Amino acid sequence: MAYQAQPPPDQNFLWGVFQKVDKDRSGAISANELQQALSNGTWTAFNPETIRLMIVMFDRSNTGTINFQEFGSLWKYITDWQNTFRSYDRDNSGSIDKHELKTALTNFGYRLSDRFYDILIRKFDRSGRGVIAFDDFIQCCVVIQTLTNSFKSMDTNRNGWITIGYEQFLTMVFSIKA
Amino acid sequence: MAWNGQQPPPFNPSYNPNFTQQGGNPSAPPPPQSHPYNAYQPGGYGTPGYGSQPPQTQYGAPPRGYGAPPAGGYGAPGYGTASPAPPPGADPTLWYWFQAVDANHSNSITATELRQALVNGNWSPFNEETCRLMIGMFDTDRDGTINFQEFAALWKYIQDWKQCFERFDTDRSGNIDANELANAFRTFGYNLSPQFSHMIVRKFDRASRNTINFDDFIQCCVMLKSLTDAFRRKDTSMRGTIQIHYEEFLEMVLENAMH
Repeated sequence: MAYQAQPPPDQNFLWGVFQKVDKDRSGAISANELQQALSNGTWTAFNPETIRLMIVMFDRSNTGTINFQEFGSLWKYITDWQNTFRSYDRDNSGSIDKHELKTALTNFGYRLSDRFYDILIRKFDRSGRGVIAFDDFIQCCVVIQTLTNSFKSMDTNRNGWITIGYEQFLTMVFSIKA
Repeated sequence: MAWNGQQPPPFNPSYNPNFTQQGGNPSAPPPPQSHPYNAYQPGGYGTPGYGSQPPQTQYGAPPRGYGAPPAGGYGAPGYGTASPAPPPGADPTLWYWFQAVDANHSNSITATELRQALVNGNWSPFNEETCRLMIGMFDTDRDGTINFQEFAALWKYIQDWKQCFERFDTDRSGNIDANELANAFRTFGYNLSPQFSHMIVRKFDRASRNTINFDDFIQCCVMLKSLTDAFRRKDTSMRGTIQIHYEEFLEMVLENAMH
């Protein structure tokens, strides 16, 4: 990762943020509350798949919501992504184009063809402008990472090829759905 | 999109690499001459109840007044603007629904408008991905929206899915549990373990009740069909396993599982 990891934020500061996001004061943040709190820097709503992805990732108690203990890691995760996104958005346009995406993923260690980046842009561009917004960038990176991890775990001789059965394949694919 | 939108869901080719080992199962083996993947399953399309009148429940129907005459109130066609005349020969009911879904009267339906018009059995809104999936499927002129001509096919598709969903929702709960889902997959001709249906329900269980909603059911079935077709194309020897390269794998997933 190219960005500098942030020091852990102060607990009082985090508690303030948590209370603002937890609109109904239930002591836990729901997907809806998180979606209302997060912004792309534009007026578009935050991608609900990215929200679900993040809730699943940090909801260790499996309640479908985020409590204050879990919130600390979620907050760090989002700000880390924000910094990553900003560092690759060289022209400060608020979105990532194909060239910027390629630089980002190459720095993360992925080796993918130029043609593949066209597919990624087409799939994760929800605005129809040929670029990727912050929320879709997170989803894109998490999906690639999840799929790469599953692939690697089967590629025991590390030659970039796997042999996979039908149901095993389907199970792997559905694992990216949150 | 591999799915032909004109086809009702149960009219599904089976993917059943191990069919020869299942001689006793009446739904598994295809006719001897046919390609095993192209065998249509008996008991799917055309069975009693399929294609009958839509039930009065609301799955997939616009929330207000399913089947009712235009109320003329807020949001109904004609409110505030001159109601556009239906195209010659258009089905008036279909035209009414098109006008109702096309909230901004632009004569084309976006994924957002479609999402506002569709509800699940428990009144939760449709997930965005299913709406984008369906728009992508029926947007034949590739302008990103659905015009009235395209709407007719889309509407029929949703109605067909609604009937399909109700057929497999055997306890009439308004959602589908793992056993009902396994039964649906079996009827469609997929040879999958019970664990697979449980995994799908776990993934899409939005209300923590071990069930999936109508919209996710559509999404799962369409994904399954599309992934199975893609897998089958690579499985030229039809052994139920494929050899696949890293980037080819990523591409296969993105093209068939991301909408």
